[in-house]
Formats: sequence, C-alpha cells, structure tokens
Amino acid sequence: MSNQNSVISAHNVVKTFGAVRALDDLSLEIAPGEVHGFLGPNGSGKSTTMRILLGLMRQDSGTVRIFNRDPWHDAVALHRRLAYVPGDVELWPNLTGGEVIDMFLRLRGQYAHTRTRRNELVERFDLDPRKKTRTYSKGNRQKVALISALASDVDLLLLDEPTSGLDPLMEAEFQEIIKEERLKGRSVLLSSHILAQVEALSDRLSIIRAGRVVESGTLAELRHMTRTTFEVETTHSVEALVGLSYVHNIRTSGARSLFEVDAEHIQDVMARLTRLQTQSIVAHPPTLEQLLMRHYSHEVPS
Amino acid sequence: MTAIELKHDHTLSGTGALLRFMLRRDRIRTNAWVVGIGVAAFYFAHAIQVIAESADELRSLTIMFADPVGRMMSGPGFGMEEPTHERFFASGYVLYLYILIALMSAFTVVRHTRMEEQTGRAELIRANVVGRHSTLTATLVLTGAANAVVAALVWMAAFTAGYAAIGSALVALGGFVVGLFFAGVAAVTSQLCETSRGAAATAGGAIGVAFLIRMGGDAAEPGGSAASWFSPLAWSQQTAPYVDDRWWPLLLTVGGTILLLWLSFSLSARRDLGASLLPTRPGRPNARPTLGSPLGLAFHTLKGTLRGWGIALILTGLMFGSFAQTMVDAADDLPQEMAQIFAGEDMVKGYLAYAALFVAVFVAAMVVGAMQQLRNEETHGRAELGLSTPMSRVTWLGAHVTVLLLGIATVLVAVGSLMGVGAVAVLQGNSEGFFVELLAACVHQAPAVLAVVGIVVAFFGWLPRASGSVGWAIVGYSAIMANFGQLLELPQFFHELNIFGHLSPYPVEAVSWTSVVILTGMGVTGILVGLLGWHLREINRA
Repeated sequence: MSNQNSVISAHNVVKTFGAVRALDDLSLEIAPGEVHGFLGPNGSGKSTTMRILLGLMRQDSGTVRIFNRDPWHDAVALHRRLAYVPGDVELWPNLTGGEVIDMFLRLRGQYAHTRTRRNELVERFDLDPRKKTRTYSKGNRQKVALISALASDVDLLLLDEPTSGLDPLMEAEFQEIIKEERLKGRSVLLSSHILAQVEALSDRLSIIRAGRVVESGTLAELRHMTRTTFEVETTHSVEALVGLSYVHNIRTSGARSLFEVDAEHIQDVMARLTRLQTQSIVAHPPTLEQLLMRHYSHEVPS
Repeated sequence: MTAIELKHDHTLSGTGALLRFMLRRDRIRTNAWVVGIGVAAFYFAHAIQVIAESADELRSLTIMFADPVGRMMSGPGFGMEEPTHERFFASGYVLYLYILIALMSAFTVVRHTRMEEQTGRAELIRANVVGRHSTLTATLVLTGAANAVVAALVWMAAFTAGYAAIGSALVALGGFVVGLFFAGVAAVTSQLCETSRGAAATAGGAIGVAFLIRMGGDAAEPGGSAASWFSPLAWSQQTAPYVDDRWWPLLLTVGGTILLLWLSFSLSARRDLGASLLPTRPGRPNARPTLGSPLGLAFHTLKGTLRGWGIALILTGLMFGSFAQTMVDAADDLPQEMAQIFAGEDMVKGYLAYAALFVAVFVAAMVVGAMQQLRNEETHGRAELGLSTPMSRVTWLGAHVTVLLLGIATVLVAVGSLMGVGAVAVLQGNSEGFFVELLAACVHQAPAVLAVVGIVVAFFGWLPRASGSVGWAIVGYSAIMANFGQLLELPQFFHELNIFGHLSPYPVEAVSWTSVVILTGMGVTGILVGLLGWHLREINRA
C-alpha cells in the first residue's frame, strides 16, 4: 500500500507500446532522503519509468505517486520540487552551456539564489560554459544537464544514467556531490547499469528486469540472498565439499580452490575447512555483479 | 612464411564502397531533388507554350523579361527583340533551374562531408580502410552524377518541347557546370566551417552573392554588362542559347570549378578530422535574462526559421512592388491567360492582390517549417528537458505558437510595407494609395495563414507524425491553386478546398468579412484543439 511519506511510490505499473510490454507490474518505493539505485540493463524499462515519473508519459494501469501527487496531472507543481537529467542529453546547438544552465534555472524561478552554487558546480565539473553546446561531447552535454539539476533547489533528483559519458575523474566528483546532496536530505533516484556507482552511492536499490522489479532492498539485504566466494589453500583435498547442496562451482588447481557458498551455510563450511587443514583463506561478499548475473544470465525473460 | 602484404593503400582507398553507401543513404533525398528539378524543367519548357500560344501574345509578355527589372530577376534576355518559345524558356526560367541545381549540389556536398564530421559518423568511417580523400571524392562523384542526370532531364524537357537541340544542350550543360561549381564552393566551405549549418549557409550565401552580382550586371544592359562576367550563374546564361549558341563562357565555370576542387582537397589535407580552418568563437558564459522564460525559449527555438523566411519574403515583397510599373506598361497587351492569374479589370490591383496571395502562401510555408521544428524539439528530447522544469505543456506550446503568430504578423506587415515602398518608388503618377492598399492586402491574408496555423497545431496536438506532411500538402496545394487555379478548369469543390481561395482578391474586390471571420475561427479553434491534444497526449512516444 502506498506509504504517505514516500517520495516516490509506484504500484503495479504497466506500460505497453503496441505489443511490447515496457513496464510489467513495476513497483517502486523511495523514502525521503534516500538515494535509490535503479539497476538494469539497456531496454529493461528504466527510462520509461523515469518518463512516467516526470508525467511525460502515462501508465496504462497501476498507480504512481510522487510526493503523494499524480505526476501526470500535477506535473508542473511536482516539477518545482524535482529536477531531471536524461540519459541522452540533447541541447540547443547554438546556445552555450552556460546559457542552457541559466535558462533552466530561470525557468524554475531559481536564478538569483543559485548563482554561487551554479558557478561552484561549473568549476567542479570543469565545464567551459562559453562553448556552444554543438561542440560539446556527450559527457559535456551531460555535465550541463547535471549542473542545472544539481544547482536547482529541489527535493528530488531523477537521474537517468547520468554519468555514462563522464570520465573517471568526473565520475568521482559526481559521487562526491551526490553524497553531499544526501546529507542535505535530498532524495535521488539514480538509474544506472554501472554497478560500482550504485554500490558506492545507494542506500537501497531495485533491480529491474524486463519491466519488472525483481529485487529490492538495502545492499546488505540483497547480498544476504546470495553467495559468498571462498578462495582457500588446503593441505587435504576439498573433495569432501563436492556434492554439498550449498557449495557451488568448485574449481581446484593444485592446493588452491575457489568456490561459492550460500550465505546461511557459511558456519558449516568453515567447520569443514578447518578439518582440511586450511593454510590460507580469502572470503569476500558477493559483488553486485554476481547478483546481477544471477538475474540476467540464467533464463530468458518470459 | 609470407609477410603480410600491404595492399596498395592510398588516399582514395574505399571510395567505391563509400559511394555505394552514399547512394543507399541518399536514395530518397537526392532522387527527390533530381526528379523535382526535372519536373520543374518540363513544366517551364512546356507551360510557356500554353500561356502564350501566338507570337503576338509572346511579344507582349517579353516585357516581363526584357525590361531592366525583368532582366534583374531572370537574366540577360538574349533575343527578346524577336521572341520565340525557346528563347523565352532560356531567358525567363532557366536561371531558377540553375539556382535549384546549385542548392542541390551545395547541400549534398555539405551533408556528406561536414555534417558527417560534425556528428562523428565520419570518425567511424575513417577508422576503416578509408583514405583521407575518399569521402570528399565519393561525395563529388555522387554530386556530379546527380548533376549529370539533372542535365539530361533538362535537355529532354527542352527537346521534347520542340526546342533546338544545340541550344537545349547549352542550357543543360550550363546547369551541369553551375552544379559542379557550387559543389566545389561547398567542398571549400565544408573545410572552413566547423558546423554543417555554417558550411551550408556560407555556400548558400555564395549562391546569393552570385545572384546579386548578375542582377546588377544583367539589369544594366540587355545581354548583360561587365558585372555579368563575375558570376557563375551569369556565365551559364552568357552562352545565349537559341540565339548565339556559344560554348566558351562555360570554360570560365569549368576553370573555376577545377580551382575550387583543388583548393578543397588541399585544405582538407591540412587539417585534422573534425577540425575547421575557421575556429568557432566562444559565446556567452551566462544567459541573457530574456532566455529564461517560456517565451524566451520559444523565441530562441524559432528565431532562425522566422528570420530566414522573413528576410527572403521581405526581399520578394520588394521585388514584387518594384514590378508594379512594368505591370502597368504591360497591362494593355497581356494575353488572356496571364490576366486570369492576375484577377480583375484593374491590372495593377489584380497584380498586387496576386502578390499578397503569393507572399501569404510562403508565410504559410514558414508556419509549417516552424511547426516541424517544434516536432524536432520533441523527437530530439529537448522538449522533454524543458518540460521537466515547472513549465506546463500548455505553456510550452502556447509560448511557441505565440512567437509564431507574432512572427507571422511581423512578416506580413513588413512585406506589405516594403512591397508598398517598392511600388510607390517605381510608379509614375498617382501612386499615393498603393502603399496603404498593399499593406492592407498583405494583412488581409492573415486569417488564411491563421487557419493553416490552426490545422497544423491541431495535428501536432493529436497526430504529431502527420503534422508535417499535412502542412506541406496544404502549402503545396495552395501554391498550385494560387498560380494555376484559374487556368485549370476544376470543379468548384477543388476551389473550396483551397484555404487561400476563400478570401476575396482585395484590393480588386471589397473584403469578404464572412470569410475573414470563418478562417479566423478555424485558426483559433485549431490552436485550442491542438493545445488540448498536446495537454492530453504523451511526449515523444516511441
């Protein structure tokens, strides 16, 4: 049920384009002050979701609320409280980057009191605001959209793969800025297929596949559902572990072995390893990569 | 062991493959140009025989091309003392075929060279086994081939009209070399400018300058004066087809073309891919305050289109006005068919009413162009960005339509005024009333233009994909009906269908207020319906 306090609350959203079911019963819940990672490959429905949240498209069925209002009907009122960065930024080719940023701030009626912030962001993103946007690379166009969104005085940021064109230095700067925004209490919906980015920034995350959220929770919760990787060196053969239902993918070369263990059986495996006279052990939690691979590599979407 | 043998690679590698690729990409656009120019040539060559059947009628029409103003607009006017249909074709219409050919060539070259670099597609191509000069070479071959086909069509057009084979060949060849020359100009501007828009505008400007130079040269004396020898458009007309049939002026064009091609290849070898020889200037780091409002945004989006059409139409208006005296002189002995186009007994007033109608149809074209730009804003995702701010959809479209309506009003008033100024300047004697009448005649067309706005905006709101084609269909139909509606004996229904046919031909007849009210109502309703549709529909739905 829709939580009154949620910043974004979407339930059973369906959106079809002809025969294609772009969103298939999608549900999403974002709390105030939360940075929410929205993870999925290309074509999984991330951008369609964003555009429904912006009120540019309307869902066929299901409910969508932002700040407890309908994004289709109250688009203008809601847009005072949110800012958006599209995945593919197209700008007016004969305006300079600086002009575009200022135009957006003025359209929001926030020109005067955001000057310092705007100039600071231009500096931090290392953007030359005097160049016409037609000469900008994808990364620079993205910076323009990011600066005008981040300089805006809003409660919610909708960022659709905002850093896909940025270099690693700028990516780091972006992460720094998003952390600052979180401290200010802003909510962020950050769509991405870059796992490291979502991992570093998100409080919670949702994984979308074929228009449906397949996993949602904090990073810890999601990791819990999956396997820990062990890298061990043992005197005795790890033969004893083979065939256990909760130990997977054993690969052995010499004394070294590599395998994965279901989270709830780690205790048991540790006990068995002791008996095999373990010389060295490295265990690491599952990466998002593994998490994602599990959802995407197996079966073909129905 | 065999060493990897480096094939004979040079700066032209891959030209053939690129050419095939270009032909595939251009199979609609270039063919449309070629066929369009071919059809225009057939029309020009054959229509004159219908408009002026007898030698007397022909003689009375020569005044349009033989007097200074006429020569200004159409060329040196060889052999007008003894007019024939073929001479009339060469003097009156061929210049406009040449301009179309020049535009086709320049745009084709820019599209395949600078635009490819600007979008980064050239990089993708050049990363393959493709030589430094291959793209430019393939582009020029493509443009040359298109020009050859056009030339063949032009020759066929003239020959099937029964005109002399040699003179017709000169007309066709003149077009061919003009095409190559301006392909060369565009190949150079594509090296100089960083953007395809800049390169196309500079090349287009060169065509304009060539036109202006020959305007002065040809107006000065029949057969052209010294200034006529400084414009490639004039060189092709100096062959005096069907009169002197001389070939050598074309050597000037060929020489110039060779020079331009050499220049473009050597310039392109001197620069990096994607770079230009004229650097772009940096712009403003901050926006002017006017930009940050829905109207400011709308104005910025549309100003280029409005300015371009506006300037062209104002010049056209000035030209129409300055023709007024010629029409007075010609009024007595115009053939019946021409009099039908320029409705009414009072020849000059009829001419002025026609001029206002002509301008209005082009203002409608401006409307369709501007609305297509809005559609582009939507499909390119810029509308989406603007609408992600607290600006409602109705405000967005409303602001753009407001700017468009202001643009229409400005253009109609400016064109009317300048037409009036032109007419008053050339008319001898009682011409005081003309200024006001011409201004009123242009403003009087506003309801019809408004009706077109209404229809196109309504389509934009409900069936956006059809809005462009519907708009151009209306403009095309109106243009045909305005020029030939009276000549063709069509059922009344076809006249009813013509939006511009409902207004009375003011100043020949009194204003028909019923039509004004109905057309205005259509326009306003259409805009409101469009706003509603845009409010209800999804943005940029795939």
